[in-house]
Amino acid sequence: MSAMIDIAGLCKWYGPTQVLNDCTTAVASGEVVVVCGPSGSGKSTLIKCVNGLEPFQKGHIAVDGISVGDPKTNLPKLRARIGMVFQHFELFPHLSVMRNLTLPQIKVLRRNAEEAQQKGMRLLERVGLSGHAGKFPGELSGGQQQRVAIARALAMDPIAMLFDEPTSALDPEMIQEVLDVMVGLAKEGMTMIVVTHEMGFARKVAHRVVFMDKGEIVEDAPTTEFFGRPRSERAQLFLSKILQH
Amino acid sequence: MFSNFDYDVIVRSLPYLFYTGMTFTLLLTALATIIGILIGTLLALMRLSGVPFLTVPAAAYVNLMRSVPFVLMIFWFYFLVPYIGQWVTFSAQPIKVGAFASCLVTFTLFEAAFFCEIMRAGIQSIPRGQVAAGQALGMTYSTVTGYIVLPQAFRNMVPVLLTQTIVLFQDTSLVYVISVTDFLGAASKVAERDGRLVEMYTFAACVYFVVSFAASRAVQLVHRRIAIIR
Amino acid sequence: MNYHWNWGIFWELSPDGVHTYFQTLMLGAGWTLLTAGCAFIIALTFGSLIGVLRTAPFSWAVRFGTAYVEVFRNIPLLVQMFLWYFVAPEVVPRSIGIWLKQLPDASFYTAVVALGLYMSARIAEQVRAGILSLPRGQRLASLALGLTLPQTYVFVLLPMTYRILLPPLTSELLNTIKNSAVALTIGLMELTARARAMQEFSFQVFEAFTAATIIYIVINLVVTLAMRLVERHVAVPGYLGFRPPAAGH
Repeated sequence: MSAMIDIAGLCKWYGPTQVLNDCTTAVASGEVVVVCGPSGSGKSTLIKCVNGLEPFQKGHIAVDGISVGDPKTNLPKLRARIGMVFQHFELFPHLSVMRNLTLPQIKVLRRNAEEAQQKGMRLLERVGLSGHAGKFPGELSGGQQQRVAIARALAMDPIAMLFDEPTSALDPEMIQEVLDVMVGLAKEGMTMIVVTHEMGFARKVAHRVVFMDKGEIVEDAPTTEFFGRPRSERAQLFLSKILQH
Repeated sequence: MFSNFDYDVIVRSLPYLFYTGMTFTLLLTALATIIGILIGTLLALMRLSGVPFLTVPAAAYVNLMRSVPFVLMIFWFYFLVPYIGQWVTFSAQPIKVGAFASCLVTFTLFEAAFFCEIMRAGIQSIPRGQVAAGQALGMTYSTVTGYIVLPQAFRNMVPVLLTQTIVLFQDTSLVYVISVTDFLGAASKVAERDGRLVEMYTFAACVYFVVSFAASRAVQLVHRRIAIIR
Repeated sequence: MNYHWNWGIFWELSPDGVHTYFQTLMLGAGWTLLTAGCAFIIALTFGSLIGVLRTAPFSWAVRFGTAYVEVFRNIPLLVQMFLWYFVAPEVVPRSIGIWLKQLPDASFYTAVVALGLYMSARIAEQVRAGILSLPRGQRLASLALGLTLPQTYVFVLLPMTYRILLPPLTSELLNTIKNSAVALTIGLMELTARARAMQEFSFQVFEAFTAATIIYIVINLVVTLAMRLVERHVAVPGYLGFRPPAAGH
């Protein structure tokens, strides 16, 4: 079975600085992969290359068989099939919650307004926010905004979801509500790449853990193996630091 | 002096001042603002496009308009517009353009440079994450710009845009240099005809003051009501 | 196109019989810079004063400053010039009025005063914003050391404010130079007026206005570059814009 997301020999430079060095990994359909590592390790950059938000100079990325780096690829169309959730939520503040959910469906997927609204309401219920459809992002808490952001990405019926540190900007008491939604998604069989520091989440639902440092993939192992017996010294050091608290 | 102040000349000329003069001023202000903002937004997008073919002419145009006195530009367009008309319509002679049309072209094109800088600041103040989020959802450049960036940029800049409109309103008085009858021109004509410079110019100053002051207070109210909460 | 081009017009004699057209334009540019320079000095002086008043802890000062700014900002510059030129001589006591009307270069002095006060309102706003942007502790620390309020402004607040304000003040200087053109309506023969005169007598419209445009652009560039040098010279270490001196000797 070919992987849903295939990354091979990925290299990226910002000017003279190399930020990604020969990264190779694959994510099968239904798999949940957690990417972790110290800051500056390139994990956010890696995930942004997968849907073409960041260009890369060397290597291949394919999503469901479609090459991301190929200039002939219709990127907006591909991106519509991949959902992305950002660290700072990035809801559109001048639009209501419902309009945040329906605008992409109407403009990109060409659904009609009624269909889009129904889908939007169903997803709001699923993330536990059905009463907030008419509110504006500025009126919601961080945890609520992030759940709406997840709903917005799901409204596009994506084949895979990318999460870029989804809980890093949240106050501690709101992290759990977002993680619960993500756990639910994983259990339903969504293909997910999650950049995060939340090791509890990784242990619960991740199939594999990828550890990155200084732009390289240092370790890529099944979850139990990673936490039980990490092979590399750097991974051990990192784990010891973040598992303290 | 004030013992001699002739209020009557003001009262008598009110219809002329307002029906002829003020309507010209207000119409010019309104039209030049609307069209100027449209052209200015286009220029701002050109400047931010990253395509040299677009950024260089846009930047050159804006910098030119901002380096030169408005009065000089009024003279330029006063003489240039008939020739442009001739060139555009392939006629044999420069086209005679009416005073209002000439002024409208001048004010729109001049103020567009200032509206461009305002909109550019507004667009640049939108966090990059907004564009990334739009792109991640599969939106094209035009959808992201039209539905995400410009609505927010415009709302953020409304107070500044309105203040620039008030400046435009005051700048219309400069059409005096080509003897066009706006509000000041009308006051001036009455002043010279009746020899009542003091009364007419004082009255004109008061009217401009009241309108501008009221408008700027209104802008502050608007600002409070439409700010986007992030 | 029915227009007859003649770029040689600049070297022909102007109607005054003494200067070429080029020389008249240069004279005009000189008057522009002189008017703008004098007006800007007035604008800085009054503007700083009003800006300071608007941040002072006395409500009468704040109200006076606000009224001043509102008056000079809500009346068009052209109307203000007319008020100073036509109305002021009539409003003052007769003897002063007569003296004013007989003043040689009356349009110059009127333009300087009108332009200076108009720009002073804008500068007052900048100064006020600059002072308010300073950390509040600065004023408190200064007073705690025993300095009086005026001393606080002179030695602590204003020096930093002016450095912060150099970019907007440069803008205002350029605006002053451009706004000086409005004085042609009261007879000041600055650059735009000379270009207009040249156009009226020689009918070489586009040559005249092109020359004026180029001269304004050059003035603009020179002033911008000069102000950038000033900025670099007075920049404070640790703040934006400061460049450490090159190492080595």
